[in-house]
Amino acid sequence: MTQYAMVIDLRKCVGCGACALACKTENNTAARKYGQTHNWADFIHETTGSFPNTGFRTLPVLCNHCSNAPCVEACPVEPKAMYKTADGITMHNDERCIGCRACQDACPYSMDEVTKDGAYGEYSVISYNEEGESTQPFFTDKTELIKGCTTSGAELVALTGAIPPHQTRYQHPDYESVRRDNIVEKCIFCDHRIKNDELPYCVSACPSSARIFGDLDDAGSDVAKLLKQHQSFVLKEEEGTKPNVYYIRDYSAR
Amino acid sequence: MKIKRRDFLKLTAAAGATAALTGCGTADMNALKAAGSTKNIGEAPGQWLPTTCQGCTTWCPVEVFVQDGRAVKVRGNRYSKQNDGNVCPRGHLSLQQLYDPDRIKLPMKRTNPKKGRNEDPMFVPISWDEALNTIADKMMELRTNSEPEKFCLMRGRYTYHRDVIYDVLPKVFGSPNNISHSSTCAEAEKFGSYYTEGYWDYRDYDIDNARYILIWGCDPVASNRMVPAAIKRLGNALDRATVAAVDPRLTTSAAKAQEWLPLQPGTDGALALGIAHVILTDGGWDRDFVGDFKDGFNRFKPGAMVDEADFVEKETYGLVKWWNLAVKDMTAAKAAEISGVPAEQIIRVARGLAAAAPNVCVWMGPGAAMHARGGYSGMAVHALGGLVGGIDNVGGSLQTAKIPVNKLDGDILKKHQDELAKKHTKKEKIDQRGRLELPTINKGKSGGGVSTNNAPNGIINKDPYEIKMLVGYMNNFVFSSNGTDRWEKALSMVPFTVHLTTHASEFSMFSDILLPCAISKYERHGFLKTKANRYATCTIQQPVVQPIWQVIEDETEFPFLIAEKLKERGFSNLHDCLVEMYADPETGAAPKTAQELSLNALKYYTKPLWDGKKDTHGDTINGWNEMLSRGMWNSEPYAYKSHWGGKFSTETKKFEFYSETLKKALTAHAERHKVDVDTVMEKVNYTARGEMAFVPHHEPPLRHGSEAEYPLLFIDYKSRLNREGRSQNAPWYYEFKHVDPGDVGGQDTLRLHPTDATQLGIKDGDRVRITSMGGSGEAVARVWEGVRPGTVSKSYGQGHWAYGRTAASDFAKGTARGINNNTIIPWELERLSGSNARNGGHAAVRVEKI
Repeated sequence: MTQYAMVIDLRKCVGCGACALACKTENNTAARKYGQTHNWADFIHETTGSFPNTGFRTLPVLCNHCSNAPCVEACPVEPKAMYKTADGITMHNDERCIGCRACQDACPYSMDEVTKDGAYGEYSVISYNEEGESTQPFFTDKTELIKGCTTSGAELVALTGAIPPHQTRYQHPDYESVRRDNIVEKCIFCDHRIKNDELPYCVSACPSSARIFGDLDDAGSDVAKLLKQHQSFVLKEEEGTKPNVYYIRDYSAR
Repeated sequence: MKIKRRDFLKLTAAAGATAALTGCGTADMNALKAAGSTKNIGEAPGQWLPTTCQGCTTWCPVEVFVQDGRAVKVRGNRYSKQNDGNVCPRGHLSLQQLYDPDRIKLPMKRTNPKKGRNEDPMFVPISWDEALNTIADKMMELRTNSEPEKFCLMRGRYTYHRDVIYDVLPKVFGSPNNISHSSTCAEAEKFGSYYTEGYWDYRDYDIDNARYILIWGCDPVASNRMVPAAIKRLGNALDRATVAAVDPRLTTSAAKAQEWLPLQPGTDGALALGIAHVILTDGGWDRDFVGDFKDGFNRFKPGAMVDEADFVEKETYGLVKWWNLAVKDMTAAKAAEISGVPAEQIIRVARGLAAAAPNVCVWMGPGAAMHARGGYSGMAVHALGGLVGGIDNVGGSLQTAKIPVNKLDGDILKKHQDELAKKHTKKEKIDQRGRLELPTINKGKSGGGVSTNNAPNGIINKDPYEIKMLVGYMNNFVFSSNGTDRWEKALSMVPFTVHLTTHASEFSMFSDILLPCAISKYERHGFLKTKANRYATCTIQQPVVQPIWQVIEDETEFPFLIAEKLKERGFSNLHDCLVEMYADPETGAAPKTAQELSLNALKYYTKPLWDGKKDTHGDTINGWNEMLSRGMWNSEPYAYKSHWGGKFSTETKKFEFYSETLKKALTAHAERHKVDVDTVMEKVNYTARGEMAFVPHHEPPLRHGSEAEYPLLFIDYKSRLNREGRSQNAPWYYEFKHVDPGDVGGQDTLRLHPTDATQLGIKDGDRVRITSMGGSGEAVARVWEGVRPGTVSKSYGQGHWAYGRTAASDFAKGTARGINNNTIIPWELERLSGSNARNGGHAAVRVEKI
């Protein structure tokens, strides 16, 4: 069997943001609106202690691709829109999704409305695309900042033939590179890349090599070896979701 | 959220399946494709094309993934030995800069003749011809009136194609005024390394081999000169070495480091001397670099003078003089008192440095030196590297390997200068560099550098003369230089200003004509020289996508287009010079178009890297086409100790703790103005007198504003998402701003310590007004333990009142989103280097809840 997993080495991570931004360029996720971040990768930050003995760490967060995934359990359609693949990915099928948001409600790592951000520990791995609205409103807008002199989002789309204009186009039977309205969306471990022997884009893009991806069921894989070598933790272990995103080592050397 | 869908669901759970069957999605979706099928999975076809990112001054060789002529993703250049194929967050963020709806798409002119902060320029579109004709007419007028010096070119960010617009254009036209931005960045920092090591440049740092890394006044994983290289290596360094970070704010490096030394702003010199004092009294200096007492007996005792004759130096000069003048009394206890860093921590860090010698990086950033009195603290910090032998050495700071590219052909330039040009280019420059009170002694030469932030004084006072025409490119000085009020006044006074720009920025708002320009990295040609991990790199920029609108390359195409217009008007020198200088280096054919000139320039400058004629001491590149397809060249690794053995470029050829180099420079400057060095020191706002002026020492920080009225000190820093000042119109900037430790996304965050917040009655999330002697504005309070009590910190970048719909709160009304740090930081200079002073605590502020 295969169980894809990610290990995040916090000692190597510098919380720079490259993974989350790279994800946005790979998966063409929308800008935050209606409390939906559309950040398939994000961060939370924790400050401890007091000056001058202040501690601080950043935890990169993403869908945990749980082995015991409440989102899958909650999905009411048949066959399920949110389902586990044979290789352990929590997959989302756009077509079957009815936008009911039961998954978002069930997921302990998601919120139906994110009003703040990682600075206050808020994030949501599942986002919902509002019904009847463009998922890229920035690029459907027709206003010109200086009339006749600057362009508009809509004009850029018309001239480049893509929305967003920097859309990375890819194909996958379960999901599109830009998803429609009235469905949820989340990290799918870049299955369109994995299937072509490429790493999830956040892993490829991480400049500190802090994100390690592989098959947990393969004892020879880097992820398996790292988890054997280091103590690890997962987010909200008490929820019993059995996440497949693990964190090793301390962010800070203090 | 508008509709609570899950509430609806609870009532109609069963209906879900039905909805799926009846289909509420778009018709062309993938409904019938079987889940798990691998058919047609993956990325649509595209190509990775090489170019260079200029989001910060790392100048990363990158590749852009292009699908259907659109730029869609960014990564590091696969050949790079600096970034190993990865970019920092800025690299990805730049896509929103390229496809920004607020980019200007055609030439524009101002129709409101009144200029000012609150004047709407009333821009209207014009043709390229009208724009260029107007500019050429204004230029001809200056030549006709024999006052070409009243033309001023201002350069912001640049590539090395700058030669064309920055050197050839003004010099052949006849103006001395090519004013760069350089002193905005870190000239005071370079001052520190120059007047000790003889190196006027940023240093490279050998992180892989360091056993102690003392980071001072910067956060190398967020900004500075080798960001991806530092990101890649910091984690491993923490496992292998000790990392200490000196900064009043908790940076990422400080959060991860073994030691955080949150010093009082502007006390860097005292702290560095305190560390030096411990190293010397402990006998912890590096004998191989510094030498030793003749008899091996350590005479460095607190407060005790030492006889110079007792110590024999090796690679250094003036250690005992320095000790006697500035170090002997700066005990750890005294340094602690001044800097607020505990004595025991100073001792611990000093001993750690000594134990790791010589494999020590003392990583100096702008925060150590860009103070009103920061020249000497820059020297003091760099001198620590000298004490432990971490200079030009394994695991230490390094200079650079050579990049053998061609230089501008000065003979051709001179050939095309007429008498007017020859005469008027010798006139004094508008930034007044080199005057008594503004030595700007770059590389030892009085007036040898630039003092960007003094240009507005020259303009306002028409001293040495009036500036009648200003051309700015890739710059936004009225936003990026502290003392924005002064720039606003100066720019309002210039009768005719042209801005070569991508966006209608703050500088544009004072301009008469805007010309739309290519986005660096995606749409233009150029080349950059950079270094990291012991490798020097030459990396090119080339258009990886076709621009959507007709935009020009500022550095090359603008000079050519203007040259044609000037030729039509009877002044052909510029055109003749350009076509001769930038003939195709292979065929000799003169460029017929602006685009040809751009390409020829790139070909000319980089030719030695690919023409196979000489050993480049680096990558072998077989011909021009391979240069374009690889996009970059790596040198061989830099040879350690290249300057040991008496080869430093100082007066003594040694690493100078007592700077004969600075002594010579200051003396020459004093003589030029017929005064003594003490008078110079007085005029430039330093307190040192006598011999103290030639050694790294502590200067009490300058402060604008009384403690009673402005009780807090303002700390400026650079966001890791700043593409200098150019990424604030990108929505992703705000979404992820919280990756700066202590920051919150979507707002301009002012961080305060809980003690100060409580005293001021400010709660986390409150809107606050911040006021200094320079200006006032609004931010959102973040009460955080990561700032030193008594200081507040905010990242540079927000506070745009122009630039775009996202950057400004209301572009049409000119309302800022947040407050520009450079409005809060009062106008000030570090006068020895000519730098903008932005750190060191001269910006005293008060903060009030709104």
